[in-house]
Amino acid sequence: MPMMLVSLISHAQNLEVTITDQEGMPLENAVIELLLDEGERTSYMQPTNSSIDQLDKEFVPTVTVISAGSDVSFPNSDDILHHVYSFSQPKTFNIPLYGRGENDDYHENFPSAGVVEIGCNIHDWMLAYIYVAESELASLSDTEGVAILSSTLSGDYQLRVWHPQASEEELVYPVSLSPDQTTTLAISLELQRDRRVRRAPGSSGRRYR
Amino acid sequence: MSAISEEEVRPRLFAFRSFRSRLIVFLLLLLLPAFAGIFYYVNRNNTDYTEETINTYLELGADVFDFVREQQAYTLQAIINSLTWDFGFRTAYAANDPATLFDAALNVLDRSLGSADMLLIADLDNQVIIDTELQGAERLQGTWLALIERADQSEDGSAEMIASIAARPFQLIALPLYLPRQVAWIVGGFALDQEFVDQVAETTVSDVSIVASEAGRVSEVIASTLSASNQVALSAQLNVGASAINTLQLIRYADEEFTTLLRSLYEDPGSSLQVFAVIQRSYDENNENVVQFRNLLIEFYGIILVLSLVAVIFLARSITNPVSRLAHAVKRIEDGDYAMRAQVQSRDELGALAESVNSMAKGLAEKEKVRDLLGKVVSQQIAEELLNNPVELGGEERTATILFSDIRGFTSYCEGKSPQKVLEELNKVLSRISDIIEAHQGVVDKYQGDAVMALFGAPVAGERDTDNAMAAALEIIAALDAMDSQLAACVGVNTGLVVAGNLGSANRLNYSVIGDTVNLAARLESLTRYYNVNNIVSEASMQAAPDYVYRELDEVQVAGKSESVKIFELIGQRSRVSQSMLDEITAFESALHKYRQQRWEEARQEFTALGSTCENKSLVQVFLDRMKDFESDPPDAQWCGVFSFGKK
Repeated sequence: MPMMLVSLISHAQNLEVTITDQEGMPLENAVIELLLDEGERTSYMQPTNSSIDQLDKEFVPTVTVISAGSDVSFPNSDDILHHVYSFSQPKTFNIPLYGRGENDDYHENFPSAGVVEIGCNIHDWMLAYIYVAESELASLSDTEGVAILSSTLSGDYQLRVWHPQASEEELVYPVSLSPDQTTTLAISLELQRDRRVRRAPGSSGRRYR
Repeated sequence: MSAISEEEVRPRLFAFRSFRSRLIVFLLLLLLPAFAGIFYYVNRNNTDYTEETINTYLELGADVFDFVREQQAYTLQAIINSLTWDFGFRTAYAANDPATLFDAALNVLDRSLGSADMLLIADLDNQVIIDTELQGAERLQGTWLALIERADQSEDGSAEMIASIAARPFQLIALPLYLPRQVAWIVGGFALDQEFVDQVAETTVSDVSIVASEAGRVSEVIASTLSASNQVALSAQLNVGASAINTLQLIRYADEEFTTLLRSLYEDPGSSLQVFAVIQRSYDENNENVVQFRNLLIEFYGIILVLSLVAVIFLARSITNPVSRLAHAVKRIEDGDYAMRAQVQSRDELGALAESVNSMAKGLAEKEKVRDLLGKVVSQQIAEELLNNPVELGGEERTATILFSDIRGFTSYCEGKSPQKVLEELNKVLSRISDIIEAHQGVVDKYQGDAVMALFGAPVAGERDTDNAMAAALEIIAALDAMDSQLAACVGVNTGLVVAGNLGSANRLNYSVIGDTVNLAARLESLTRYYNVNNIVSEASMQAAPDYVYRELDEVQVAGKSESVKIFELIGQRSRVSQSMLDEITAFESALHKYRQQRWEEARQEFTALGSTCENKSLVQVFLDRMKDFESDPPDAQWCGVFSFGKK
């Protein structure tokens, strides 16, 4: 829950990034990550526990930001079985078919940074991303397209920006931070068309509920 | 006559020798154009229909070709789609081991039941990860890249095309592989091969081929339902030019003609290679029903024609046979066989005609019988006159020469002979006389005992009637002289107006002539004894026949007549009379002249002189005796030599 964390320590906020798409519309689910040296990073490596629920045959939330070494659980809130998997490089795993409440306590640990794409082997359209950041200094944009980072850091840094549809894989922007001043940054991303597997017709019906 | 000659001159197109040929030609002229017309229209319509049907079938074949291809492509798409769902395959892909993936791909092909023949997987950078066709390219390029680009731009990430792999056409489909985001492209394909064309052919009942062409010429028949030899012919004849696409062309194989529809399947952008689908249908096979119908029609025509010919021949025979019999009968009747009867039984017009011919023959027979009988009773010419002209009482006035002939010495000739013998002899003599008269165009009018009355110029007038009478008289006299020394003919001839016609009652008629001319002729005949000559002709007769030599005998007044007539003795034809006879005639006429002038002495001397030299002394004696009478009882002063016969 890093977002909640950021909002709680509101006085410490020193970076606010507004992300829009190429048409200027606010972009939700974009991730910003402040890239730190290894030495700096150690003080921002508190692992967390996150959860990606499976509700009405969709992953909720779609994008989850965690720091490396954190755990994520994949509870099933549907009446139907799901088979969660990842073939992504940072973390490959596979939780075979399980039903509601069966794996509520099970966590997968994500030790390596990177983007992990989560799918369900039964429902092809179910797709979620886990952004495994190198440190805690990563944040997700809200519906206004605003992502906020709070730290006591000051000086020049690199800011990585990621979005599932971003046409560039690696987007890095320089930022200058000061402890008592909020640095604002506006970033426009060029998005690719989001081609994904369509939800099967009738799959939102109640037949298998 | 003119009509006949025109007929002969005008060239005739059809000169029929028989009624049957005429009927047959007429029938053929009637039937054949009708047959030809019907045949033409039926055949043309059927041929049009066949062509239409073939076109429809070919269009249908091409549609089926596309349909089968689409269906199989759909199946292929379903297979690849399922593959992207396959967790094992996903795991294999994620394992990043091309060898494993290749095996997995081969498994898929094996399980596809022929719906998939090849699989290619390329990552999103167009790097080829696996290719079951082992084409060897590391990166997608050319048409393959174009396929992926099209798929990438499409809504659902799929695209299809026909491409050539190792010169064989493949139906390809590209789909994205999701893991769960797209990580790669999977391209599946099936070969448009023999199996495929067999499948299409099974549905379309047309022949299906797939051919490749290079530089506008067929380079290879990739797959075909045609026989090997026909594939060779197809290669040689198929037009694969741009204008030939989607149009119909005819390909002739050894024994069959095929209508052909060409569809383009693939064009290589880098070379002139093209792949075509060829749908063919046997023209002959499709035309089979038409040919069958045509043959049936011809057979039908044949039967109609034969039946019609038989009917015509029978009809012709039913007419020509009776006509032939009629013609034969008429010919026989013409030749005089009046007993001939035409044997025609029919009740139609021919039957009526035959009946008429038969009655005509009967009528002719009766007429002939009458003519024959008439010819025996009356002379031939009178018989003809009676037969040909209406027989009625009364007559006409005409000039004719009448000849009376009597037989002198017949009574003594008949002495001691039986009546039969007498009649026989008489008939013999009369027959001879009649023959002579008829030979000189005379007509025997009647027999009266041993006398014969003959007419010249009645009933039919001729130009030389009197000459003929003279010739007949001379011949009768000569004939009787030659017949028997006891018999002699005495002939009287006179020429003048007579009344000729049918005499008698309405029931019984007799053609004859009457009048003073006839009476005088009879009188002249009876005077021959008085003058001792064998003939006496009147002055009118003498003048009418000038080619003969006559001796003037006298001028007489016969009983019952007021006018005198000069009478002459016919001596003979002018050329045949001797000079001595002519001299004698001259001497006699000289003496006669003096007698008429009552120069008795000179006349007596000359008659006496003649009496010593001439043959007919009795004639001279007539005048010597008469003058002797005149000396005792001289005539009055007006007498000019006419001797009057008081009695008949």
